[in-house]
Amino acid sequence: MSITIPIGPQHPALKEPISLKMTFDGEIIKDADIRLGYNHRGLEKLFEGKSYVQNIYVTERICGICSHSHTTCFVNGVEKLLGIEIPKRASYIRMLIGELERVHSHLLWLGVAGHEAGFESFFMYTWRDREIVMDILEESSGNRVHYAINTIGGVRRDIDETQRTRILNSLKILKERTDYYKNLGTTEPSFVARLSGIGILPREQALSLCSVGPTLRASNIDMDVRKDDPYLAYDEVPFEVSTADTCDVLGRTVVRIKELFQSYNIIEYILRNLPAGDIKAKVPRKVPAGETVSRYEAPRGENIHYIKSNGTEKPERLKVRAPTLANYPATVAMLKNGFIADIPLIFAAIDPCICCAERMVEVKDTKTGRAEIKTFDELKKYSRDFYKNHKKIKKDTVWPF
Amino acid sequence: MGKKLGFFIPELWRHIFKKPATVDYPFEKLKVPKGFRGLPVLNTELCIVCKACERDCPAEAIEIRTILEEEKKFQMTIHNDRCVHCGQCADVCPTNAMTLNNEFELSEPSRWNMKFRYAYTRQLRKKSDRNVDEKDKEIL
Amino acid sequence: MAILKTFFYLLVYPGLVFLIVYSLFCEWFDRKTYARLQNRRGPLHTGKAGLLQPAADLIKLFSKEDIVPEKADRIMFTALPVFGLAIILTSAMYLPIWNYSMTKTGFNSFPGDIIVLIYLLSLPTIILFLAGWHSTSFFSTIGGVRVITMFFGYEIPLLLSVLSPAILAGSWRLAEIAQFFQANPGLLSVNVIGFFIALAALQAKLERTPFDIPHAETEIVGGTFTEYTGRKLAFFRLITDIEMVVGSGLIATVFLGGFPGGIFSSFIWFIIKTLFVIFLLSVIKAAFSRLRIDQMVRFSWYILAPLGILQIFITLLVKLKF
Repeated sequence: MSITIPIGPQHPALKEPISLKMTFDGEIIKDADIRLGYNHRGLEKLFEGKSYVQNIYVTERICGICSHSHTTCFVNGVEKLLGIEIPKRASYIRMLIGELERVHSHLLWLGVAGHEAGFESFFMYTWRDREIVMDILEESSGNRVHYAINTIGGVRRDIDETQRTRILNSLKILKERTDYYKNLGTTEPSFVARLSGIGILPREQALSLCSVGPTLRASNIDMDVRKDDPYLAYDEVPFEVSTADTCDVLGRTVVRIKELFQSYNIIEYILRNLPAGDIKAKVPRKVPAGETVSRYEAPRGENIHYIKSNGTEKPERLKVRAPTLANYPATVAMLKNGFIADIPLIFAAIDPCICCAERMVEVKDTKTGRAEIKTFDELKKYSRDFYKNHKKIKKDTVWPF
Repeated sequence: MGKKLGFFIPELWRHIFKKPATVDYPFEKLKVPKGFRGLPVLNTELCIVCKACERDCPAEAIEIRTILEEEKKFQMTIHNDRCVHCGQCADVCPTNAMTLNNEFELSEPSRWNMKFRYAYTRQLRKKSDRNVDEKDKEIL
Repeated sequence: MAILKTFFYLLVYPGLVFLIVYSLFCEWFDRKTYARLQNRRGPLHTGKAGLLQPAADLIKLFSKEDIVPEKADRIMFTALPVFGLAIILTSAMYLPIWNYSMTKTGFNSFPGDIIVLIYLLSLPTIILFLAGWHSTSFFSTIGGVRVITMFFGYEIPLLLSVLSPAILAGSWRLAEIAQFFQANPGLLSVNVIGFFIALAALQAKLERTPFDIPHAETEIVGGTFTEYTGRKLAFFRLITDIEMVVGSGLIATVFLGGFPGGIFSSFIWFIIKTLFVIFLLSVIKAAFSRLRIDQMVRFSWYILAPLGILQIFITLLVKLKF
């Protein structure tokens, strides 16, 4: 007997609203369907009404975890349109904040994986140590989450000597702790039993479904925008692309832990070789007409911003492709033939940031399946009429009513 | 099951006698670092009403109204309920009249308590300030 | 006088009042230990060091709105929590806490009461299954089915492990087993394997990590309790808390030598030994990740059950020697 159950939009495993329509046969998933659109914020329309300077802060608020990724992606694109070169020191500081962000995002993910697997202590410990990175970020940028360190033409704050030594000292503790989590996360039998062998995504499938980031790298494909298409000064920094060949959730954990170590090395390199000089170049407010695509390796995968300018203070179009969106097709493939118990782990393994990926909502009539364009007033009228006609939902009614 | 069953126990045991990592928040507070971006405040004596902050604020949280043009009386309202604490106003301010202080406990029962009004008369500009203002007009 | 004593026994100590108060204290102790193991503070503000937090939670739940789902079986849905609480309170009567004479047998101490206690401890599991089943929601049903699947896993190892001290003592009466081990404390070391099996089985019975599969919140929301609210949920919480006290009391009686002495010294021993068992349960809770249902059943049949049989063999060998 197979039954179809909606997991979400509200479910404890999902931190943000999304609907996973699952078809089960006993405890085994036979089919999965992802429905988006519960968290649409109209951001792309908002970009069009704001100037480039204001848009830095709006792009920052696309995502809470990879806030720096989105601003850097946007700012890099705008600088490409302006045709200016930012000071070396500025690009190093951007990279530094970006890597610190990757560290905090990956530590956060480790904790979330522990929580989804019911390993609360792991969750508590990783999040406690994540505070070290958060403190560094707060000290160097002025805020814990939205660093707002980017500006067009450079960065807004400099790293001074005391901060430099403090970050280097904190890195030692972080390295030690991450080494412990590496042992714990990859050898603790009850945790490994939950992670290994679930959510299998073979190499060919990962490529054909266009997955990005650690999900792709766990399928043994060394693709990283930082290596393949270096932005900022990544071509000067030595680092390796971390991969794993197990193609499962354990592999994704291993990739993220390896990346943590790579990030520590990059941060150390940056701090030891921080070039002197200005941190900001003078830029005009108006951007010449043109269009560009900017790529950035966010902690979750490749982030793409498409910017079209028309010679004014405001962009004509800004399209955001968040990494989570690219990983959805792979998630459906991974979920098939898994257990109910593995849904939260498989879904969490792509590190979903649902509202980053929400770009549009289509209102459909559930009976006819026809899409319509409605103004807000029409929608209000429709809802009033709907509840007038459907006074009480009868017992044994199945959704859609 | 592997041989490392109970790998975590020594670590847990070590922490049972340690000080908790969590802070008993409302009773003890963490130190706010230097350069924290908290509540935006206006030094009315320095403001020259160039309206750069109003123009660049991404959240439209700053509103400058002219009360009496001839007496140079202005009113600035900072809508702290909309403010996103990005600090762009402090960055663009040519006279450093806008600053962000250390306050972070900003919640209020009503959003109307969060609107800060400053009514002030524009001060005469000094010569040195004028250059800055001219230069920054077209260039950010 | 005898009637008054029986009433005191049933209602105050070690009956209703003591059990409820002590189980709430145990919940506080468990939460605090769990928090300290995770480098947190745990409950802090209600009462001294958060001592009243579990009671406050319970009172809060009692005052919340009570909802019965339209599709659920109303009578069963309402009756099950009450039945569960009654059963678990009854089971506590058989713990040899105070005043058991070995010659004169009372209503709550007789040869074979260990079996009755284990039987009564297994009934709440059935109650949980029925509660999940009669909620009719998808998550509750899955939770209920998982409860019963797990039950088949841990019940046999629990019985096997509890059996071996009984064989060693040559008695089916809890008070006698406790007295035997008080007389020969050296023989307690024979049952070390059984002690850990029983701990694991009790952990599974209480549905705590790594065996919190029936109400794994990230998988099936609240599991069995998804549809339960207000008073009924409070009853279930109380059932789990008292089950923890009774279960750890059983382990303390059988594996740790019971609670010798009169009313006061037995009280103190009861507190010390049950808290020790609960501390170990908290450490297990903190140290492991939740297993999948198939892994749990495999674990109990491939590891716990053979170990239980091994324990019985050891016990038999020791018994033959003496």
